[in-house]
Amino acid sequence: MPRSFAHIWFVAPAVVLMIVILIAPILVAATLSFTDYSLGNTTADWIGWKNYDRIVSRSSFQKMFVATFTYVAVVVPLAVGLGLGAALLINSLQRFGDFYKTIYFLPVMAALLAMAIVWEFTLHPTVGLVNETLAMSCGTALEAIPFFAQGCARNFPLWLGDKDYAIWTVAFIGVWQGFGFNMVLYLAGLTSVPRELYHAAEMDGARSGWERFRLVTWPMLGPTTVFVVTITCIRSFQVFDTVEAFYPQGGGPSKSVYVMMFAIFEKGIQQNLMGLGSAVTIIFLVFVLFLTLIQRWLIERRVHYA
Amino acid sequence: MATIRLTEIQKSFGSTEVLKGIDLSIEAGEFLTLVGPSGCGKSTLLRIIAGLEAQSAGEVRIGERLVNGVRAAERNLAMVFQSYALYPHLTVAENMLVPLRLRDLAFRERLPLLGPLLARAKYADLRRQVTETAEVLRLDTLLDRKPGQLSGGQRQRAALGRAMVRKPTAFLMDEPLSNLDAALRVHMRAELAELHRSLGTTFIYVTHDQAEALTMSDRMAVMMGGEILQLDRPQIVYDDPADLRVAEFVGSPKINALPGAADAEGRVHCLGIALTRRLAAEPGQPPREVTAGLRPEHFALSPQAGSDTLSGSLIYRENLGADVYLHLDLGTLRLVVRAGVEEARDYSLGARVHAVPRHDKALVFAEDGRRLRFRDETAGQDADTGLAAVARAAKAFVRPANTAQNAPQREAAAGS
Amino acid sequence: MTRFSAAETWKHAVLIVGALIVILPFYVMLSYSLKSPGEIERNEGGFFGSQAMMIDERCVKRGEPDRAAIAAAAERFPGSTDSEIQAALMAELRAACSRRPAVFNYTMAFSEAPLLRYLLNGVIVTASIFFIQVLVALPCAYALAKLRWRGREVVFSMVLFCLLIPVHAIALPLYIMLAKVGLTNTYAALVIPWTISVFGIFLMRQFFLTVPDDLIDAARMDGMNEFAIIWRVMLPTAVPALLAFAIFSVVAHWNDYFWPRIVVTGNRDLFTPPLGLREFKGDADGSFFGPMMATATIIVTPLIVAFLIAQRRFIEGITLTGMK
Repeated sequence: MPRSFAHIWFVAPAVVLMIVILIAPILVAATLSFTDYSLGNTTADWIGWKNYDRIVSRSSFQKMFVATFTYVAVVVPLAVGLGLGAALLINSLQRFGDFYKTIYFLPVMAALLAMAIVWEFTLHPTVGLVNETLAMSCGTALEAIPFFAQGCARNFPLWLGDKDYAIWTVAFIGVWQGFGFNMVLYLAGLTSVPRELYHAAEMDGARSGWERFRLVTWPMLGPTTVFVVTITCIRSFQVFDTVEAFYPQGGGPSKSVYVMMFAIFEKGIQQNLMGLGSAVTIIFLVFVLFLTLIQRWLIERRVHYA
Repeated sequence: MATIRLTEIQKSFGSTEVLKGIDLSIEAGEFLTLVGPSGCGKSTLLRIIAGLEAQSAGEVRIGERLVNGVRAAERNLAMVFQSYALYPHLTVAENMLVPLRLRDLAFRERLPLLGPLLARAKYADLRRQVTETAEVLRLDTLLDRKPGQLSGGQRQRAALGRAMVRKPTAFLMDEPLSNLDAALRVHMRAELAELHRSLGTTFIYVTHDQAEALTMSDRMAVMMGGEILQLDRPQIVYDDPADLRVAEFVGSPKINALPGAADAEGRVHCLGIALTRRLAAEPGQPPREVTAGLRPEHFALSPQAGSDTLSGSLIYRENLGADVYLHLDLGTLRLVVRAGVEEARDYSLGARVHAVPRHDKALVFAEDGRRLRFRDETAGQDADTGLAAVARAAKAFVRPANTAQNAPQREAAAGS
Repeated sequence: MTRFSAAETWKHAVLIVGALIVILPFYVMLSYSLKSPGEIERNEGGFFGSQAMMIDERCVKRGEPDRAAIAAAAERFPGSTDSEIQAALMAELRAACSRRPAVFNYTMAFSEAPLLRYLLNGVIVTASIFFIQVLVALPCAYALAKLRWRGREVVFSMVLFCLLIPVHAIALPLYIMLAKVGLTNTYAALVIPWTISVFGIFLMRQFFLTVPDDLIDAARMDGMNEFAIIWRVMLPTAVPALLAFAIFSVVAHWNDYFWPRIVVTGNRDLFTPPLGLREFKGDADGSFFGPMMATATIIVTPLIVAFLIAQRRFIEGITLTGMK
């Protein structure tokens, strides 16, 4: 084509920025992860796999993996399941569906840090609204439940301050924040299911809602589900705001909420152990890449569905 | 196999009335087509029969059973959808297995993995039924493909297979051919008609294409504006339409509708021609406007103008190979005339063409579209009155009502 | 229809319980931002609190009369002892320092910390991020979708690869790089990592693919050069996609906490709203719950209000990520 070289001007800024901002840092992190570099030092020593050794062997890092995977394992199924459930319910309503949709979507819009601080108040052991409400059950029939009996006899859980509850509470907030997003994606997915398929299912003898769901809805939502699960996974791996807001001093009671992003922040930024932080970064990236590749593979496999 | 009877079916969405009291009786084993322009209510009627839509008033009976309020899954009807509605994640075989599984197996036996183990014999039997049906439809080589890997015609057959496999009381088809290309559509018409003959099951077929209705059906119901205008064998609907709208809808190219006037004696004058036949007199009928309908094949060409010819200049030659349709400009309207290929060769664009209508084929319609009979047609009937003519014209759509009236007697007969 | 109303009622019941849990923290936030410290502590006063006058202790402390003030006020209280004068002055002061709790909380939110400055920073940062993202992504997307050149496939696969990289995850090396060029604690540091939106490129490319080539050829026939085509033909056609992307981008960066937390240390002038709130929390003692909740409310409100006004657009924008 005799046309100008305009495309170079169009593409160059983006390409340069992609290389400098996205690709170079990965290489930098990969390199630094084999050194004991700290910011301010002019040189750094090559220490081989030592950083990775530490991550695998040290108990604080083991706690990091436990905390991160617990968080992901709780948040992903719940946020996806509740998102799907809410979408199905709302979709089947005759009226007021938009009202619930709006409310469930609110947490997605609100700054998570601000909401974390609010949750901290709400879950405050003594003056928080949650425990106040639970305390109202004392003296009622609810006391038959061991949880309430124990709470009324001594006190209700400290939630964020109790190492048995902390990670679950943080995960709950993760679910609270994220399921509305999934709901909206599922609602979009539901509108693209052809109505005729439901009619065909009805004609074929699918009598119950469950049969229609199994035969039509769930398979047709397959691609949406793959996407929703991956994006929820990646987001949960990246959890940081809540953890930092609740436990600025590091990882919560007995490091039970010491998630990966917080570890990167603490080691790299706060303690200036750049080599170690970079090693965690690389491990993190490997997880994320792995997840996304699984997603791509699943989606490719379904391409011929059309 | 059973008759399907509809009585006084009404349906409205909000304030719009879609069906205005439909009476229809479909005989067992019949191929009945509901045909009409889009929005005439034909698909709604089909969906009411299927149970996918509830009627606002009226009764649906399948055999002797009143199925109002019975859900689609319980009516044992099968439907072929316009978009085929095959489950895209299942193979053709699995698609065909779905209705069998859902109907013939208990919940426990339908469990994934466990089910096939529990009811191995049943599954083998169901699979055999699928294979048999697939052979009939020549689907056997496609059983392991998913719908996305099939061509339009193959999908069409897979959808038929899913409907056939469980041997329903009747097949309901909602414009099943409209997503196919023209050649395949013509081919599938023949296949469907043949399939109907070999299965002997009732087919209720919805289409907007009058050609499909004419070629395939035993009887066709022409619907417009939520009513059945005429219900009869295709040839009768074509030759003897009860209403101008029917005459215009059925037949391609469209019938020529020529403005005319009838005097008190029943003589019809139309574009300067006086029809030789006279309308049956309706007493006290003043002169009035009528429409004369003449199909393109009901003209002969004449070399010169005469008192009996309609003349116009040729503006378009529609060459269909075997026949040529000549479009003539008559000043205020356009006349379409069929001519043989040889005959048409003599005329070039702009030439004057003189067409002689066949008086015996002319159809006359009143201003409201109602068919008006000729005297010679009504002769021999009880009274030579217009009323009798109207009664005769209306006979076609009175017929289902009659059968509905007869129904209790027949039921009683069946019961005794 | 009565047959379905029972099921319908159940669905509503379930959804309402869910809605209550979802709305709970918003309720707490708004309610606390209106109440006095005592009411928060004792958990009373319902949603609005009693709004009884309360005394601002800090204001009192600041205005406490010293010896000179008492001497100066001696004429106003002839024949009183010093302690009597002091008591009288204190009473006046307390009267002057009493406020409605809601007013107190919200004025404190703005006076205790430079909240306006934070909000302004938030606007500057999100706006510049979005502006630069479009400036970079739009031409690139156009070239990828509508121009033919060698290497196009390579660049596009690079875009696809970069889609895999979450920017938060590579924060550490980015921080080191910025520190090396001395850019930490600047607006630039807050903006630079987000200037390239691979997602934006991808999105716009997909959108441009649907624009007919004829439109572009017509523009060329009219004598426009490629630059003019981008800004005068493609940009206007891409407005719906751009709007959705804008919402996606603004929501992400207004609410972002992680990255500002890393690159802005100490310098309050650069704080974005979430950082400001965090700082507030760090300083807070018990009596500051109210003002802090007021701050949180102020930070969260702009997006929520915008969302409530243009719901459909927002949901479209946020779910755009689902188009991959």
